[in-house]
Amino acid sequence: MSPQKILFSPVTRLSGLLSVELEIEHRLVIEANVSCTMFRGFEYIMRNHHVTDAVYLTQRICGICSSVHGAVASYLLDQLYDNDIEENAQYLRNIMMGADFLQNHIRHFYFFGLPDFVAMPNQPPFLSQNCYDCRFDEEDNRRLASHYLEAIKAGEKSHQILALFGGKAPHQHSFVHGGVAVAPTAGKINQALALVRDIRDFVKRYLMPDTELIAKCYSDYFRIGKTPGRFLSFGLFRFGSKNNQMLWQSGVLENGRLSDVHLGLIQEDISRAWFERAAWLKSDEISPAPHKPEAYTWTKSVQFRGKHYEGGPLARMLMNGFYEGGTSTMDRIVARSLETLLISELMEEWLHELQPGEPPIHQKKDLVHNQATAVTDAMRGPLLHSALVQDEKVEKYDIITPTVWNFSPKDEQNHRGPAESALVGTDIPSPELRNVILGRIIRSFDPCISCATH
Amino acid sequence: MEKNEFLQLCRDNSLAGNHKLSSRILPVVREYLLDHSNNKLLVIWLETSDSGDNNIAFMNATYPYLNQVFTDMIDLIYSNTFMAAQGSDALLLLEDTVNHFRGRFTLVVEGAVPTKDRGIYNVIARTKNGPITALEVVTRLGEAAQYVIAIGTCASFGGASSAAPNVTGSVGVSQVLEREVINVSGCPVNPDWFVGTLAHLLMYGKPELDEYNRPKLFYGFTVHRHCQRRSYFDKKDFAKKLGDIECMFSQGCSGPRTSSDCPYRQWINHVSWPVKVNTPCIGCTNRDFPDGSAPFFTPLPQKSKSEGTGHSEQTKPKKGGDT
Repeated sequence: MSPQKILFSPVTRLSGLLSVELEIEHRLVIEANVSCTMFRGFEYIMRNHHVTDAVYLTQRICGICSSVHGAVASYLLDQLYDNDIEENAQYLRNIMMGADFLQNHIRHFYFFGLPDFVAMPNQPPFLSQNCYDCRFDEEDNRRLASHYLEAIKAGEKSHQILALFGGKAPHQHSFVHGGVAVAPTAGKINQALALVRDIRDFVKRYLMPDTELIAKCYSDYFRIGKTPGRFLSFGLFRFGSKNNQMLWQSGVLENGRLSDVHLGLIQEDISRAWFERAAWLKSDEISPAPHKPEAYTWTKSVQFRGKHYEGGPLARMLMNGFYEGGTSTMDRIVARSLETLLISELMEEWLHELQPGEPPIHQKKDLVHNQATAVTDAMRGPLLHSALVQDEKVEKYDIITPTVWNFSPKDEQNHRGPAESALVGTDIPSPELRNVILGRIIRSFDPCISCATH
Repeated sequence: MEKNEFLQLCRDNSLAGNHKLSSRILPVVREYLLDHSNNKLLVIWLETSDSGDNNIAFMNATYPYLNQVFTDMIDLIYSNTFMAAQGSDALLLLEDTVNHFRGRFTLVVEGAVPTKDRGIYNVIARTKNGPITALEVVTRLGEAAQYVIAIGTCASFGGASSAAPNVTGSVGVSQVLEREVINVSGCPVNPDWFVGTLAHLLMYGKPELDEYNRPKLFYGFTVHRHCQRRSYFDKKDFAKKLGDIECMFSQGCSGPRTSSDCPYRQWINHVSWPVKVNTPCIGCTNRDFPDGSAPFFTPLPQKSKSEGTGHSEQTKPKKGGDT
């Protein structure tokens, strides 16, 4: 029997537009092309902008992790202007990022992930749910489905904390270079504390038990959707006056061995992406080429030391010793919930450390450097912004997002990225289960296509 | 479908394998369900070239909360973000709804529409017959919808997705449709503006619109008019830096040329807005956002002009249609 070509499109319940093309032979997925099908061109948009515009403009890359784009752009500007950051500003910055992590993880689990495992009520927006593999008994199912409603308020409360200090969400305003513009008053701190306690209670009462229940009932997914086990993180939650102390460490994890990330060893490959190097352009200039025949996605292929690496909560939890597990679909889901619990607890500590007072912001006026690269981890993995600046105007702006790492298309040598690797080798027992199984594997990466293609 | 027809259909297909019965019955049942909730707005939500920020903003709705909007206001049939269906099941649901409810559904578009290279920069789904571009599907569904709502500044006017140099030729929804589009702009939209517009459509029909086709309810006055720091402006008492408590005009505030009710409505359960955290309004509801607001931290009179950007060719949104 010759391989059967399958289209899985659109892949719903994620940020942005994704299609996957697969080849299946004797029930096994033998090839997968993940195709991110939207492009806006933020690296071109950033050019000629005053470099300080980056804190607000790059947030527009993504609605679900906007604060992290704002954060990394702020770190970048802190380097360019050589700012000193107050401790209070660092707490506020991490509180805002933490709030957005809580928002993202809670919404991912309940709005995007839950309908992969739980039969939802047969009404909009849940019509035509494919329930060939919904395994919970009636009572567990009813209870889990009802938690969708609880998650609505927990997600909103997470963004309320972000808005209290950041003015609005998505696309917060006050986490900018030099610190934070908001005054952390006792009133705001108390309000945020009340909110974070509610969220932490939600995480303990609902998210953790629900994760455990799903992991138990679908324990076969600890063997499905495995990746080669190469993880990379840029670290998370910066402290120190020069953003130089990292609460959760950065690193490269391979065969159980942790080593440092050297930014100089990161490369992007465009052989299967809709970009080309025009002969008349400078050697490192690329332009969109939507009709390039050998390409199948707007996502470039990113590598460290010539290999693909997976990023996200699983990478962070493994690297920091918070989780010991494998590289499967369910490991990714469990690690994300675990991270949610850890961050909800950190948030409360940080709010207690935060001192009520004046806005902790000191922006220096003059550029010290004209080139910088800044990194952090975002919810779904490593995020990098890099800029070349002339007279405070952006000449070149590079962005490498987490979903570029996880949803890398094949490189020149046809090596697969993490998501494609996870899909290949999957057993599909019957055609009705195709979208169900593939959807679960894909969503465990929490893909964000708006970010990946920017 | 009459009861006799339905029973006949069941009998005809009862012996067929491969779920043929359910594939025939399900659309009928679905149609019945949809027909019997016709007091709610039937909504198809398309995500095009955007950051997804407007669906996140929608999840932040309070009073009513998201679940109350789903239960009491709209039947969200198709949404890349929320729907349980995936792959071809999702596309089938879209087709069925458009076919059965022509002229009776509300189309919500989130994102700009790329027009260059026949819209190839945004493909909402792939099929055996080739890619379906945002341009194609917005055009087709836009003609079939009762109301079209552009949610967010990208869908309304092109927004960040069409910022210079606009390599994808992206435009707002009204630029590709020969009909009226209700623009609910904002980057992102404040959920109150969107849910409020839905509520108005549901209870009273089309709301009164401003010159850019935005509901006057929410965009009737400038940010400047209602700003809590207006007295500082009147006394020419300007902030020296971000974080100061005086008027943010000196820090690049676009409030004087931006229509929205942010100062008193505020964001996320009404807790704050940009000026309240000592930063300027960057004019995100504007037709020329972001190009017309840049550089963001430079006072209004010295900002770059929007000429020469993707927005300069954009005419005022078309008025037309009688919906």
